Amino acid sequence: MTIPTMLEWIESTQLSIAIREGGLPYPIIGGVHLLAIALFGGMLLAVDLHLLGWLMPGRRFSEVWHQFQPGKRLGFVVVSVTGLLLAWAEPVRLWGSPSFWVKMSLFALVGVHALVFRATVYGHPEKLDAGITPQARLAATLSLILWAGLIVSGRLIAFDASFEPASTSEIRSMNHAVSTAALHQES
Amino acid sequence: MLEFFRWLVNSPWSHVMNSYEWVFPAIQSLHFMGFAMSIGTIAIVDFRLLGLGMRGQTPAALAAGLEPWTRVGIAVMLTTGPLMFSTDAVAYHANPSFQFKMVCLMLALLLHFTLHRRAVQPGAPPIAGKLAAATSLLLWTAVVAGGRMIAFI
Repeated sequence: MTIPTMLEWIESTQLSIAIREGGLPYPIIGGVHLLAIALFGGMLLAVDLHLLGWLMPGRRFSEVWHQFQPGKRLGFVVVSVTGLLLAWAEPVRLWGSPSFWVKMSLFALVGVHALVFRATVYGHPEKLDAGITPQARLAATLSLILWAGLIVSGRLIAFDASFEPASTSEIRSMNHAVSTAALHQES
Repeated sequence: MLEFFRWLVNSPWSHVMNSYEWVFPAIQSLHFMGFAMSIGTIAIVDFRLLGLGMRGQTPAALAAGLEPWTRVGIAVMLTTGPLMFSTDAVAYHANPSFQFKMVCLMLALLLHFTLHRRAVQPGAPPIAGKLAAATSLLLWTAVVAGGRMIAFI
């Protein structure tokens, strides 16, 4: 099975059609995706900002970590499941969207980040109670950058010209050519 | 009012937002980070008030530790939101999802800076905390849902 036929098969499934053409399901799943980003993002921020010494500096890291870990995990699952459902609805368009690939690469880096810093930071939070190590600060900084990058690339998917169906993307690029020409005239 | 919205659409910052393709998505991304920061940290306190996890700290201690970041998030949200609004103010103000979102946002902010603040204080009756938390979660959910629907209705 080639990739294009597989993407087309996904688009032809009942689930894909229901999300894409059902009207309400798409924005509802998108809304849950956003809410989970807020929940997961809030907890992730709390942990990272604590490691940087900017949030609840008086508390021990292991306490902060254990306090937010269950919520972080739940938020991550909800973000991933709703994200997968949104992708299931339009795999062909996403395949052609550069921002989607940036987002997936960053997503892969989130996994690399977790593996790399497991030994020094996240695997033994108690070890950081005595003092936050430079590795831990690096882990927190990279985590914040990845988080911001995921939000930016995720948002950019909606603005990729290739994300639009072929017919409208042609119209859009025509409009864009017209508006760019108008801009040049103005300036 | 409509005059003001027309003026907004023609304001210099609105022109900047409309002139470059990348500005709008960039501002919108900041908006998302702002609401993740504010609503995320508010939700943590709400879940604690409802007795759902984070029992290591009292609601008061948790709220005190998170509040500065909640405010940073609110500030980012309330700066980037109006910037996006100004690019197409006339259309947004007539959009039912936008109107719904604004009403919920006003109520959510009002709640956050009044009853919610009192409900997290030590000695506040637990039922008041639970009510404030449930209302807060409901309102912020409505704000996000209303925001998401702007593009669809």
